[in-house]
Amino acid sequence: MTARWRRWYRLGLRAFPAEFRNRWGAEMEETFSDRMAGLDPGAARRLALRELATLVASGLRERGTIGGGAPLLQARDLKHALRLLGRSPGFSLLTVLVLAGGLGLSTFTFSFLHTAMIKALPLAEGERIVRIDPMASGRVEPIDAADAAAFVGSLRSLVEVGGYGNRDLVVGRDGNRQVVDGAVVDPVLFSVARMPPLLGRTLIPADAAPGAEPVIVLSYRTWVLVFGADRELIDRPVVINDRPTRVVGVMPERFGFPVATEAWMALPTETYLTNTPGVASIRLAGRLAPGVTHEQAAAEASAVLRRVVSARVPGRLDSLAVSVESFPAMQFGEERVLTFSVLNLLAALILVLALVNVTNLLLARLNERSRETAVRLALGASTARLVIQGMWETVLLCLVGGILGTAAAAWGLDAITRWTRANMEGNLAFWWVWQMDTVTVLVAGGFVTLATAALGSVVARQALSTNVREVLSDGGIRGGSRREGRLSRTLVAIQVATVTVLMFFGAMSGVIARRVMNLDLGYDLTNLLHGAIAPPEGRYPSAEARAALYRKAHAALVAQGEFDRILLRRTLAEQHSPSGRFVTRGSGPDPVAPTAHQLAVLGDLSTSGVTIVEGRGFEVTDDPSRAPVALVSRSLAARWWRGRSPVGDQIRLAGVGDTTAWRTIVGVASDVVYGNPLSRDRGPDAVYLPLLQDDGPVAVVMARFRSTESAGRAALIEAVGEADPLLVPEGIQPFAGVVRKAGFIALSVSKLFAACFAFALFLAVVGTYGLMSRSIGLRRGEIGIRRALGASEAGVRVLLLRQAAGQLGRGALVAAPVLGVVGVGFSSYFPIGAGLTVGLAVGVSVAIVAVVLATTWIPTRRAARVGLRESLTGG
Amino acid sequence: MRAIEFEILLSLADGDRHGYAIIQDIEARGAEAAPIETGTLYRALQRLVEEGLVRPVDGPNEPGQGPRRRYYQLTNTGRAQASAEARRLAGLVEAARAARLLTRGT
Repeated sequence: MTARWRRWYRLGLRAFPAEFRNRWGAEMEETFSDRMAGLDPGAARRLALRELATLVASGLRERGTIGGGAPLLQARDLKHALRLLGRSPGFSLLTVLVLAGGLGLSTFTFSFLHTAMIKALPLAEGERIVRIDPMASGRVEPIDAADAAAFVGSLRSLVEVGGYGNRDLVVGRDGNRQVVDGAVVDPVLFSVARMPPLLGRTLIPADAAPGAEPVIVLSYRTWVLVFGADRELIDRPVVINDRPTRVVGVMPERFGFPVATEAWMALPTETYLTNTPGVASIRLAGRLAPGVTHEQAAAEASAVLRRVVSARVPGRLDSLAVSVESFPAMQFGEERVLTFSVLNLLAALILVLALVNVTNLLLARLNERSRETAVRLALGASTARLVIQGMWETVLLCLVGGILGTAAAAWGLDAITRWTRANMEGNLAFWWVWQMDTVTVLVAGGFVTLATAALGSVVARQALSTNVREVLSDGGIRGGSRREGRLSRTLVAIQVATVTVLMFFGAMSGVIARRVMNLDLGYDLTNLLHGAIAPPEGRYPSAEARAALYRKAHAALVAQGEFDRILLRRTLAEQHSPSGRFVTRGSGPDPVAPTAHQLAVLGDLSTSGVTIVEGRGFEVTDDPSRAPVALVSRSLAARWWRGRSPVGDQIRLAGVGDTTAWRTIVGVASDVVYGNPLSRDRGPDAVYLPLLQDDGPVAVVMARFRSTESAGRAALIEAVGEADPLLVPEGIQPFAGVVRKAGFIALSVSKLFAACFAFALFLAVVGTYGLMSRSIGLRRGEIGIRRALGASEAGVRVLLLRQAAGQLGRGALVAAPVLGVVGVGFSSYFPIGAGLTVGLAVGVSVAIVAVVLATTWIPTRRAARVGLRESLTGG
Repeated sequence: MRAIEFEILLSLADGDRHGYAIIQDIEARGAEAAPIETGTLYRALQRLVEEGLVRPVDGPNEPGQGPRRRYYQLTNTGRAQASAEARRLAGLVEAARAARLLTRGT
């Protein structure tokens, strides 16, 4: 510990002039080490930080007095810097705006992504609140209620663990019914959340006891929208799912724990007491015990769950594990840290771009002031004084830019929160509230400090390298040293590389965003509801029992007058996955195995936009008692039965269901595109099986309602209830909402990056012009001599354009490998072909070449026209 | 004379000390005063050495303590200046008492 601080101390000693350091440094370090000896870590840290701060300040003061000068930090330097900035309002304004843009965008991006992906829940000790999810073979699953009590009771690294499940709640009766996204929760989860109610009380253990009166706690939004913010509502009964239920509390605005809950009812304690597996399943949440990490809790929970399940199901349970993660972590999966880092890195590139431009502006300004600097040095001013004065200017610019940028970021965060609340309320996780917070302010401070340090070092280097004799003998105009020329060319190359990468990333993101926005599922989403029927294994142990339930539920849904069309559907396999393969009868060994999206369906296929174009569709009688049948899509028929009809042929699925059964193709269906819109496997090749001939644990209901969404939701719940009074369809929501929600983050990130790239392009145009002007300006003397020696205007232009081309080339060399990595990264995650990727890379490169050459042309023309005398005297 | 310089001279008045011992002595004397850091101490020591009020001397050999430490010793000039400063401060204290800013015993 002391050794580490000692290294820092040695580094801090560098603040002192070498003369002082050589004389006292070793002894100071020894004394510091003596002071640190024997202190506990906390006291040592406090002392070391205090020592380091004083050390650097003392060192700077010591530097200021070397040679008998005045103290280094003086108020008059600040005034001098303010005067200089006031003398060039245009420069000051432009610099501040560029800095504000760069700092603001970086801060905003960080904060937006941090809130969405990383930040702890906005609840007391939110960082300890976790989801506890059993995982079988890597797939997250709810826990069987039969295992829950023993599992929860044995946990030591997790406390206040309780179950919950999403449940649509129908509020009101008959013509005045509304459905809200409710949840049944273990009352202990209100202890986990530690959020006091706005009115009344939260749920308490007595509410979950057997025979307890049904009670409900409302979210603020439900209280306002459904009950008109009636303060007299507490303790009054309302009708929930056709039962009188007493309202006991209203939670504060923006509270929706666990995710986006609009009303809470108690999860009955008997749920935990069941001994029959498959009757119910629940999700679990709780708190990490103090001092326990996610990994420790997951290890303990996995061991406990394996023990509990093995008591019921003998056999190897190695693939069974438990994931203990924060709620945001579970939403974004394992790659959230990588995604967060990459997106922030890109935003930081904008800041780099802004800093390159400001560096150029500062260098141009220092160049203009070089004569004044040289005169002051010649008259005896210390270099340290000049550096400090320059630093004050940089500090002021960065501070004002930082404050403006942070204010803009705060406004942007507030705007996005307002927008999401207005447009996405009810669909958003409750912790997605974007606003300025301590972390964001600290990060903004960090960005400002980095910017100040980067720009300050450039200013200091420039001031320290001023050669009095050279500048004064140059007649007041600096032709520019080789070093300056090199620096200027490097800045252009950095600019070209950074802008190229940003523009390429922007173009790729734009393509994806466009695909998300224009996503065509192939069918009309209007009035279409989504829900899921998941028969519990305990009560539906066989394929026949499950098939009977699906048939009954389908019949009940069709009988509901509320629905126009009904389809029950289950995705069996994605094309190009191993399970998506199939074999056609009579075909020999084929080097390319045919693959297709595979779906099991029951009901009216036209609900999902599919029509039968040849042969027949499925009938309710296509069940396990009949010969296995299948439908193929038109595109699949065209690909594998080229020039003939597939009807009557037989296929055998290779990866799902009964892989030994030959299925007769009875019809051809029209094409609809299947697969994840952001995956590479999206396409119309499909095989359909009758749902009743393919056993599965779940069926998705697609129901097109006639009147209102609320009536549709209620009818869906009622129909499934008719098939099984204990069964409630899960996740009922409009299809349009599902699609919109899926695309929201992608769309928001794309919009954010569109703004970033627009700003990057602006910086590229303005910055490249400035950099090229300066770069060419540094060669003014040389141009004059060339012209005097007979070089033509065109010759000079070619010379300068060749310089620009060289800088472009260097920038391209840096950018090319990064473009490769970005391109390959995008292509492997998203459905963007190599052709489009290369095309975009070429397009972006051409655009950058055009920008650089265009911004070079104007200063080139001006320089080529300048006469010899002007060139050499600066006239 | 700056306060830190007087504090150092005071520490050295009753014997030679090394840097860490000076800090310990100053801190022991003024528990309520702001803590003194090494950077401040050595800048002051440099001034005192340059003005001839303090001189560095080799310290005693301390077995098991590594290389011999540098100690600091008050010069005659240093002692005279410290005395003069102490008298000046005592005079100021008397004046404060006369102006009833201080009472006996404070």
